[in-house]
Amino acid sequence: MFIIDDLLVRPFINIVDAIHTLALNEMYDVEAIEDELKENQLLFELGERSETEYRQRKAVLEEELAIAREVQEEFSSGRIEVKS
Amino acid sequence: MSHRYVYGVVDADDALEFETEAVAGAEKVYPITHRHFAALVSDIETTDPERTDEDAKRHDEVLREIMLSNGSRTVVPMRFGMVFENDRALKNVLRGADRAFRRSLREIDGTVELGLKIVAEESDEVDREAVCDAVADELEPLAVDAVDNGLFSDRLVLNRSYLVDRDERDAFDEAIGRIEDDYEELIIRYTGPFAPYSFVNVRVGAQ
Repeated sequence: MFIIDDLLVRPFINIVDAIHTLALNEMYDVEAIEDELKENQLLFELGERSETEYRQRKAVLEEELAIAREVQEEFSSGRIEVKS
Repeated sequence: MSHRYVYGVVDADDALEFETEAVAGAEKVYPITHRHFAALVSDIETTDPERTDEDAKRHDEVLREIMLSNGSRTVVPMRFGMVFENDRALKNVLRGADRAFRRSLREIDGTVELGLKIVAEESDEVDREAVCDAVADELEPLAVDAVDNGLFSDRLVLNRSYLVDRDERDAFDEAIGRIEDDYEELIIRYTGPFAPYSFVNVRVGAQ
């Protein structure tokens, strides 16, 4: 019975793994954060964001970017594993 | 110990030295020459400079000064943050990338880079394709080359860089003026001249 159980359960685990992977990639999406940094700069240059708002947002995004790069690096090297 | 922060590479005959507000508080830009080429550098204490807004701006300004001093000068620009430990390491790169520098200098000779971003007001619906086609009709015939820089914001309608002969600069400015008249409802952000970052393909490893 172990074999039947395993065959039935395994595809669901794979789907859960895939969802976790997608969620991680979205949460630590380097390109999306880089785009937000550029948009922040553009809105500042257009005068739609004050210098204070611009600098605060930039600091937050730069911190997020550093974390995202680190996570993606760990992720692609296999040092982070998705556990379901 | 001070290192060498590189702004760009010019033909050795075009080498120059000048005082300015350079990256990381340096006050002088000067050449390190090896055979046909000269790297224009300033001194810096670190090999890993932080990319602050102020220093990124200074990097661009120094390149613009190099480009525009004494009429015009062609420079292969380096991206922000390229530092070499010493003159010898830098000369090794000038020697190793001789062909690449020669080709790049030839390709961008007598040109400048100009940037155009077209931005929609928030919540405005814009026919992107129609705008891009109209802009291409105006500008592409005047440009030597053009590249797309990506729509990193939902409000961006167009984001391109153009490589333009210095002789076509006035005609290009006039074309931009016509685009501004045709699209008063859009924000037209026209920038430059810059050293042609987007049109050179020299990658050198800093040491």
